[in-house]
Amino acid sequence: MCLGIPMQIAAIDGFNARCAAKGVERDVSLFLMQGEPLAAGDFVMVHVGYAIQKMSEQEARSAWELYDEMLAAEAGGA
Amino acid sequence: MPLTAQDWLAKIRALPLQRRVRIMNVCGGHERSITMAGLRGALPKNIELIPGPGCPVCVCPEEDVYQAIQLALQEKVILAAFGDMLRVPVNVGKGEVRSLEQAKALGADVRPIASPREAVKLAQENPDRAVVFFAAGFETTSAPVAAMLLEGVPDNLSVLLSGRLTWPAVALLLESETPGFDALVAPGHVATIMGPEEWRFVVQQHGIPTAVAGFTPVSLLAAMYSTLRQLIEAKPFLDNCYPELARPGGNPAAQAQLKQAMRVTDANWRGIGVIPNSGFFLNPAFAAHDARLRFPSQDDASRKRAGEMPPGCDCARVVLGKIYPNECKLYGRACTPRNPIGPCMVSDEGACRIWWAGGVREPVEAA
Repeated sequence: MCLGIPMQIAAIDGFNARCAAKGVERDVSLFLMQGEPLAAGDFVMVHVGYAIQKMSEQEARSAWELYDEMLAAEAGGA
Repeated sequence: MPLTAQDWLAKIRALPLQRRVRIMNVCGGHERSITMAGLRGALPKNIELIPGPGCPVCVCPEEDVYQAIQLALQEKVILAAFGDMLRVPVNVGKGEVRSLEQAKALGADVRPIASPREAVKLAQENPDRAVVFFAAGFETTSAPVAAMLLEGVPDNLSVLLSGRLTWPAVALLLESETPGFDALVAPGHVATIMGPEEWRFVVQQHGIPTAVAGFTPVSLLAAMYSTLRQLIEAKPFLDNCYPELARPGGNPAAQAQLKQAMRVTDANWRGIGVIPNSGFFLNPAFAAHDARLRFPSQDDASRKRAGEMPPGCDCARVVLGKIYPNECKLYGRACTPRNPIGPCMVSDEGACRIWWAGGVREPVEAA
């Protein structure tokens, strides 16, 4: 459950954000991000459906790469 | 150019490290990255990477799992839980229901969910049913649960909260006579929420080199390098190798919401016992949404004595980093992901499950 997924914000409606990661779209809560100005295009670290921190595109991409590698390794090793 | 994982490995190999050093991590996500990237094999032999208390499902008290099963079976609630919890076994007599998965097979309405928001949706879609969200997790999960409650939830939704704080288990180890580690890699997302400063006590009170890490091999290796240098130079400090997310002070909004919705008290950890100031419980303002108060008849105090790991299972020592997963007598023999006996083989964050997924098949004798 501590595995965070970086996502990019597509649109914001109140505390709700439509976010995307590698082609998958999800609704994400921004309720824990009060006080941090966010806009469409920003990247956030998402935990169990809640954004917990803003992050750079570079940081998001390095985490996505890691997950791709881990999924590939598990598919090969399981 | 930022350093690559290979660069960090070369820097670590070049360190003048004479003795054995044990670096503990306390996060299932860290252990996953370490195992999947094969960092153990890539590091010098005298550096040991110890998976410590980093799996909230593994330490979720047996009595709470039992209570969730009873709520689903006896009270006929819709029982929502993170998917990991469904196969966690409780210790019951032969023929009795031993997991939420078994309760579900018997017709109980058990729903695996991936977010607190799905629990809210379930309650909205089933206004005539009681919905209980069985929420086990560390700070990274407890904060979203707090947010869910503060944003407002339907009357028919209550929470069976088994939230735990990460640092008290590390404090427990450090205060014991045999902590079992020389350096600590602190959890990046717990620090993102609570602030890296929460780990300063490890350095200040115990002199143990510590670095907060993210989840990429680069961040983990940078943190390991930092702690090793701190050891060599005998100058321990709290380093932060995940500064972009784990900012000074953490996420203040998340901390404020945790404080508003929950209080911190002594709490039971499965197989370990009560750890002071280590559990989140709902504040009285949310009593109407507290499943422990709403269904008191299912809160069976006698279970609290039962709260051990399953017979023969060494999960408690695995969680505390006292033994490696494959040193458990059941690992890979009686206990596999297909037929797990202990919670460490059930949860995606359990060290046994991670090691198995990483290809470790050989049991070894405990040293």
